[in-house]
Amino acid sequence: MAERAEALNPRARLVAALLLAFGIAAVQGGAVLPLVAALAGGVVLALGQGRRVVRGLRAPALLAMALLLVLPFAAGGTVLAQIGPLVLRQEGLQAAVLMATRLLSIVALTLALLAPLSPAQLVAGLRGLGLPGLITDLALLTARYLEETRAELARAQLARRLRGGRPGWRAVPDQAALLACALIRAQTRAERLWAAMRLRGHGAAPMAPAAALTTRDRVAMTGAAGAALALVLLDRMP
Amino acid sequence: MHLPDGIVPVSMALAGYGASAALAGLALARIRALPDPQGQVPRAAMLTAVFFAASLVAVPVPPASVHLLLAGLMGVLLGWFAVPAILVGLFLQAVLFGHGGITTLGLNAVILGLPALMAHAVWRLAGRRWPDLAGFVAGAGAVLAVLALFVAIVLAGLPVALDPGAERMALGALVLAHLPLALAEGMIVLAVLRLLRRMEPRLLPHG
Repeated sequence: MAERAEALNPRARLVAALLLAFGIAAVQGGAVLPLVAALAGGVVLALGQGRRVVRGLRAPALLAMALLLVLPFAAGGTVLAQIGPLVLRQEGLQAAVLMATRLLSIVALTLALLAPLSPAQLVAGLRGLGLPGLITDLALLTARYLEETRAELARAQLARRLRGGRPGWRAVPDQAALLACALIRAQTRAERLWAAMRLRGHGAAPMAPAAALTTRDRVAMTGAAGAALALVLLDRMP
Repeated sequence: MHLPDGIVPVSMALAGYGASAALAGLALARIRALPDPQGQVPRAAMLTAVFFAASLVAVPVPPASVHLLLAGLMGVLLGWFAVPAILVGLFLQAVLFGHGGITTLGLNAVILGLPALMAHAVWRLAGRRWPDLAGFVAGAGAVLAVLALFVAIVLAGLPVALDPGAERMALGALVLAHLPLALAEGMIVLAVLRLLRRMEPRLLPHG
């Protein structure tokens, strides 16, 4: 499974994810939605990322559910049914189904294609797309320290609770203190890191060129472009 | 509060990419004019990691999810670096955690980036003279500005018109739900800046 996930170049994955995501975002009618869901499901299964995607879809699924519960009763003019004071409307229902399917499909594709990459691979992909070095350096360092920082903050939160930290609004000064401490630690770590980067000769040598795309990468990108175009054309067909 | 994928029309998402590219171009030009811009990247990255780690706890609220935003604090501490930092943070959140969206990355960067720059301007103008007031206004004002941009984009992007009564109710609920967040962020930014002034003034643009 992991081999399948790692076979594609990060740059090809980014391009494929963007093409498919924008292709799905361009769908406006309900007729193509089963195809959209099938495409997303197919890519997730083909890459062997089912478990990761199911985990990552929890929050978006709640949001999709909320859309399906709210919009059909709050938007549109054609009445489908009336349940007490609630009026179910066709346009709202269609819009909710459209948005929920697009949302879940795009998130599933993004997670399947990009979440398996390490921060270094992701940044190599961004660099290969021609993003400025300042942004890719920033992305690499942020991604590198994000998990560590999350763990530090989680430990600090736990320690605050174990010490009987105040709840609700009275916790605001404590939260501010935790954040300030994290920022001060970050500043100290940044100074050490920059010193180490300079000692290693950061910026002295030209950046290594991006890895060349293989035939498999080109096929994946062309396939994604074709699938995105097909979705848009099918959606616009009378 | 991120705009998720699939909610707004694709034309609006593409326009968001264009607008955020222009904003990032402007920010990068200002950053390159600074002395030793590369030397400031590690600091910006570490602070970005803190901001996004602190804002990762998400509560889904239709049509999006609510986080501690910290756009104001980012603006105050990072200045023009806040724009690339927000872009990077949003990208990582979308890719690694499925928060926000990959098609709405540009719109979300504008929604958070403009208020961050406004907060930076507030701090530059008033931070030396009235630091507490400037900190509170930067924090709370950024949340309100983010909310205004978010609501405007969601309403303009919905594929179907909301019932006027439901729209008023939804807007009212959204504003009411976020007023406590604006107040809390204002207080947090004020308190954080007070602590930093005392303990690590080098972190502030003019400590």
